[in-house]
Amino acid sequence: MEEKGWEPRIVAFVCNWCTYAGADLAGTSRLEYRPEVRIIKLPCTGRIDPLFIIKAFEKGADGVLVSGCHPGDCHYTSGNYHARRRWIVFRELLKFAGIDLRRVHFSWVSASEALKWRDLINEVIETVRSAGPFEAYRRLNP
Amino acid sequence: MDREKKLREKARELLESKEVDLVIGYGWTRYGKRVAPVFITRPEDVDRLIWNPMCVNNLTLYITRKYPDVKAMGRPAVVVKGCDAKTVNVLIQEGQLKREDVVLLGIPCEGVVYRQELYDGEVTKENVSPKCVVCDVKNPPLYDHLIGEKVEEGSGFEGARNIYQEIEELDKKPEGERWAFWMEHFERCIRCYACRQICPLCYCERCIAEKNMPQWIDTSAHGRGNVAWNLKRAMDLAGRCVFCGECERACPVNIPLNLINQKLSMVVEESFNHRPGYESEGHPPLIVYSLEDREDFIR
Amino acid sequence: MARIGVFVCQCGNNIASTVDTQKVAEEMKKIPGVVYTQDYKFMCSAVGQELLKKVVKEHRLDGIVVAACSPHMHEKTFRKACEAAGLNPYRCEIANIREQCSWVHHDKTKKTGTLKSTDLTRMTIERLKKNKPLKTINIPLKKKALVIGGGIAGIQAALDIAESGYEVILVEKEPSIGGHMAQLSETFPTMDCSQCILTPKMVELSMHEKVRLLTYSEVEKVEGYIGNFRVQIRKKAKSVIEDLCTGCGECIEKCPFKADSEFEVMKGHKRKVIYVPFPQAVPNIPVIDREHCPKFLKDKCGICAKVCGPKAIDYSQQDEIITEEVGAIVVATGYDLMPVESFGEYGYGRIKDVVSGLYFERLASASGPTGGEIRRPSDGKVPETVVFIQCVGSRDPKRGVPYCSKICCMYSAKHTMLYKHKVHHGQAYVFYMDIRSGGKRYDEFVRRAIEEEGAVYLRGRVSSVYERDGKVIVEGADTLSGTQVEIEADMVVLATAIVPRKGAKELAQRLGISYDTYGFYNESHPKLRPVETNTAGIFLAGTCQGPMDIPDSVAQGSAAASKVISLFSREDLVREPILAEVDERVCNACWDCYYACPYSAIEQHPLKGRDGSIVRWVARVNEGACQGCGVCVAACRSKAIDLKGYTDEQVYAAINALV
Repeated sequence: MEEKGWEPRIVAFVCNWCTYAGADLAGTSRLEYRPEVRIIKLPCTGRIDPLFIIKAFEKGADGVLVSGCHPGDCHYTSGNYHARRRWIVFRELLKFAGIDLRRVHFSWVSASEALKWRDLINEVIETVRSAGPFEAYRRLNP
Repeated sequence: MDREKKLREKARELLESKEVDLVIGYGWTRYGKRVAPVFITRPEDVDRLIWNPMCVNNLTLYITRKYPDVKAMGRPAVVVKGCDAKTVNVLIQEGQLKREDVVLLGIPCEGVVYRQELYDGEVTKENVSPKCVVCDVKNPPLYDHLIGEKVEEGSGFEGARNIYQEIEELDKKPEGERWAFWMEHFERCIRCYACRQICPLCYCERCIAEKNMPQWIDTSAHGRGNVAWNLKRAMDLAGRCVFCGECERACPVNIPLNLINQKLSMVVEESFNHRPGYESEGHPPLIVYSLEDREDFIR
Repeated sequence: MARIGVFVCQCGNNIASTVDTQKVAEEMKKIPGVVYTQDYKFMCSAVGQELLKKVVKEHRLDGIVVAACSPHMHEKTFRKACEAAGLNPYRCEIANIREQCSWVHHDKTKKTGTLKSTDLTRMTIERLKKNKPLKTINIPLKKKALVIGGGIAGIQAALDIAESGYEVILVEKEPSIGGHMAQLSETFPTMDCSQCILTPKMVELSMHEKVRLLTYSEVEKVEGYIGNFRVQIRKKAKSVIEDLCTGCGECIEKCPFKADSEFEVMKGHKRKVIYVPFPQAVPNIPVIDREHCPKFLKDKCGICAKVCGPKAIDYSQQDEIITEEVGAIVVATGYDLMPVESFGEYGYGRIKDVVSGLYFERLASASGPTGGEIRRPSDGKVPETVVFIQCVGSRDPKRGVPYCSKICCMYSAKHTMLYKHKVHHGQAYVFYMDIRSGGKRYDEFVRRAIEEEGAVYLRGRVSSVYERDGKVIVEGADTLSGTQVEIEADMVVLATAIVPRKGAKELAQRLGISYDTYGFYNESHPKLRPVETNTAGIFLAGTCQGPMDIPDSVAQGSAAASKVISLFSREDLVREPILAEVDERVCNACWDCYYACPYSAIEQHPLKGRDGSIVRWVARVNEGACQGCGVCVAACRSKAIDLKGYTDEQVYAAINALV
């Protein structure tokens, strides 16, 4: 199944205030991590719609990551709580539809957690790699 | 039949007293073999109203914003089974309806058939609607007038297909098989949107499927758009679906939509202790949150 | 077709060492709509910015992407440069190829970095194509503030705002301002008399030309949003015409009827039926307690009217509803003490000589009912032994509240000192759980109570309090020595927990601000926005937010005031245009957005027909209150609501550019 030289493609939807700043700090600290992730910045995880994730799969992502502020730290107080609820349900839906949950990741990364961000990205990429290319979804394309 | 008589009497009374302008109920189609929704506006027509196990439709559909023409007919009374009555609670929660805007003719129900063509004078475990097998609202949880006596709660269809069991079995299968199961079904979807048209909770002024700029959901009946459509619809019904089962019944290609909607209902109940339709207070669970929501899956 | 310019920054070697910036620039040229690309050593330098401006003008660009460092670094810089070149600043986007690419992927062959930078820049270009020019929003501002609550926090906030030249309305529920601080005897850790430092501030406030003082009044209704609140205040009938009353006190003197005094705490202590709560009250205008006055109960008496020289008594006075428009609100409604009655094991109510801490304050106060002499309530005897019990209700999740009331450790130490100063041969005991004396000169203060003033501190809980031969027996554990102790006391003082004001939740609902499980008001951010609420334009000061002492309350009063002042210092309210927007044609009025919004920024708006009748309802965004989080957008099933600056189209375009 795995193509030679294949590397997974990951899309990360992150909030502007915590995770995006944490990823910036990883840069400022010159931490090194695997490059197969593309970040899309939103103001808050509460803005993230399940459609974003579906569209990412349609466009060839092998895995997605959604990351925001820790509970209690949301810049907008409760956006991450709203998001958490949405993900509880959406994750179960994807699972029920038969999507390998190794492709769908959620995390809290604060603006100070550069190390966590680095480890998270490496782990996510490794996990998605173990799931292989998401050919099954790409085959749906007309 | 006793209930039918009482229903007609009540309808006549309501129309004559002008308490309502319209009674939405069930009646025979032209050939007298099938049941369809009827809209009665004159007291002399109330004898067209019937009640039998073929009365499957969820008539609350007609009091949503999808039917401005029905709204224009005036104040309605609607015949509701227990499952249908739950819809009214959700509609009230979502600001689509005020309780006083509608008169509910609650009708205790002992089960309806899954498809009318399967009916042969008796509801059996073979032809019963899957919602009736797990029904706990034989008596409507809300009504203005109860038509006839209450019936005993509890299901009597042992051995019938049980939706929760089916979900459990599907859950047990490996992901790949579940994916194959759903893809086989979704590939058949012809995007006729019958599921949406018949759903009283799919009342959007403009459906996301019809939104271009951006076109989140491909309009052509292909795997990609079909998966996106069915997942998005399931997600939007999560915590709201009252299991009236109409979408699956309406689906011309037999996609087991009850499975996916009830799976999410189970998730919502487990996770947020919420069962849609049992009360009109509060909010749909996905627009509120609790500090205690689980996050064992979040790193 | 768009005319987009792309600038790829080398950032010296910071980007260029792992990204082939020239190649990225060339690649971008292939994207439809991109008409100019260039890489450059330092885009953020003055020269770089000039270059950007020049190119924008020369090539008539309608949008630019700068692939450089994080937007958190220089987005503002580049957007400003765009604006200077006549381009809408929101038509400028940053692709982060430094922090999120060159610095984290150390591949010196530049293959990895170049590939990823190309992707990131392409995604940004596609997103930019969907960017609409946005304008900052200007909202007119009413430069007048409302302060709710006339305790020390509210007084401080009102004074600071008034001193800056803005008008302030201060609403106080009681007949006088002053709050709890007016009841205290002396204050820790300086032991200066509470009223001596408070009353000058009260007078200053009442004399201030910018302040309108509404005592005996309550806020009934609040509408509107930041800069533009409409407030309804009920001014209760005082039965005294304020403009005529001289405050001579003749009416109080001659009034033959009495009722329980709220101010003096202790049961059975009376005040007149026409009264001021305490002698230094501000304003010094009495009110008639209509619930107890026989003139109102059975139309008898009327002495006060007869003795009043200026004829200021008006029995027919009605409650008055005052409507005010204000731009900002400071909430400083203070606290209550947990009712001592809930703690039967300490004998309160059953044993006369078990009293609350606030009672002890009145006992020790020179203006209190005993003139500052410590005398116990049962027989007026000077107590020789006094036991102070801390954490009554606090840190007691089962029967009280789980939080620490913060001030009790300090005031119990103060009480032992006050007692020792007044009863030299007396002995004070304190039962405590932990001593929490964090604060400037606080721990020294407690040490002084123990080491110099001889208070005996026992670490442990009290198990029972009962009476024996005219003494109050206190049994408890001394966990440090591991023994049971029994103390024959003459009086017991309970340090009860601080709880939110009665009616705090109702007021919060009227204001549209949030509160915690207890009813304390929530700050917008516990660390970074400590005096703001999530409702823009409403600020918090003092103990309505949680237990705090006087210095903290004053600091918060000033902090809230400074927030108000900085808000008022601008001509208009200027808001970032990153705001939600409703497409009213397709809104279902399901109110999901309305309930999900953390800022109550969604309004339910009726669309009316030509005849004025309501055709249907739609959601509308209040641009003054919206903070741009986008929770409403994800909540909206029909996508009738979108977030400017992060629209669905922009996100879609970015995802679509993944390839």
